[in-house]
Amino acid sequence: MGLEGEATDADVVRAVLAGDVERYAVLVRRYRDRYARYASRMLGSADVAEDAVQDALVRAFDRLADCREPDKFAGWLFLILRNRCYAERRRQRREGRPLEPMDEAFAATDRPDGTFERGERRRALERALMDLTPEQREVFVLKHIEGRAYEEIAGLTGATVASLKMRMHRAYDRLRDLMKDHQ
Amino acid sequence: MTTDYHPLVKRLLDGELTLADLPSELRAEGAEALRTIGAADRAPVTFSPALDARVMTVVRRHARSPARRMWAWLNAPREVELRLRVRPWAACAGALAVAAGVVLLLTRVTVPSPSPSPSVPGRGIESQARSGMRDSVLVRFVLYAPGARRVAVAGTFNQWDSHAAPLIRAGTEGVWTTTLALPVGQHHYAFVVDGARWVPDPAATAVDDGFGRRNSVVAVTAQGGRTL
Repeated sequence: MGLEGEATDADVVRAVLAGDVERYAVLVRRYRDRYARYASRMLGSADVAEDAVQDALVRAFDRLADCREPDKFAGWLFLILRNRCYAERRRQRREGRPLEPMDEAFAATDRPDGTFERGERRRALERALMDLTPEQREVFVLKHIEGRAYEEIAGLTGATVASLKMRMHRAYDRLRDLMKDHQ
Repeated sequence: MTTDYHPLVKRLLDGELTLADLPSELRAEGAEALRTIGAADRAPVTFSPALDARVMTVVRRHARSPARRMWAWLNAPREVELRLRVRPWAACAGALAVAAGVVLLLTRVTVPSPSPSPSVPGRGIESQARSGMRDSVLVRFVLYAPGARRVAVAGTFNQWDSHAAPLIRAGTEGVWTTTLALPVGQHHYAFVVDGARWVPDPAATAVDDGFGRRNSVVAVTAQGGRTL
């Protein structure tokens, strides 16, 4: 057995499926923060996002035998987390709870290199993002916060590039409307 | 007043164009759009160090659950390799045996009577079929209706549903037939021609149904069906 850093996702998945449950910790360490920003921006709260990631990692373990391509564990985990984020959003909507504004920890403080105006604009944008549809917010987060290309996002989500661009362009217009007092 | 960005500005935001690519009249809008979208917080997010331990605690508990272990074992896909060494003559013999078995099975299921009598146009109950089930008997209905487009038989055995038992054209021109499994007992019935015309069986006794219509009667016994 190689070192943790050398083991591929597929190696670890196979080991876990063969009964070495403790090896799953390798995948937990590897992916716990990879989608942290995505989940936080999708759910509007780092605490809720942490619960979602924890739940996604446990679900991934429970359904590990269904991971048909173990070397693509990361993308598979992302889909589980994505479903979890959408389910959480639906639950909040059912309960009549609007998405919370972003946590103070990463939204309400001015960055050391920023001016007050930039901080205000950042906070306004975070609030505006919560007013987008989940699909629009997702494509915005993946493109402009995670820095992924449309083709990558299409590969992750299964949507076509054309439909992603349409969502994104509608999101631009909506954001402009929501941000008109901060331009 | 529209608040939509110009399509070229959207392409700027998508990274397909630069500010310099925009016409001069769109550059202010483009700069404003870049400022807005550029305000997005890209600071990394790190979760609590305790997350790993929490996940592993739940994972270990799930791994110990007998039900989950059983399900994981049942649900885990496995590769199965099947190798057979067969002599060609044995394969042929096996195939013939299977085919013979299928033919035998079909014959036993579909032959309604050990001595079917020939179709005679105009006779309603053509033959008394042998028992198909414990308390029912296969009964063949025949009607000669040369001009009909469709024919069905309805009666007390199918709640007078005029669609439940359609007859099909037999080999002889104008002859329609079907075979039904009827419970032992006496049944009233009539043929329904073209979905509208109720016709009593010309080869069977007809009785008045009390509403001005004539129904035929068939008595089904364990030995077969016979018209009254």
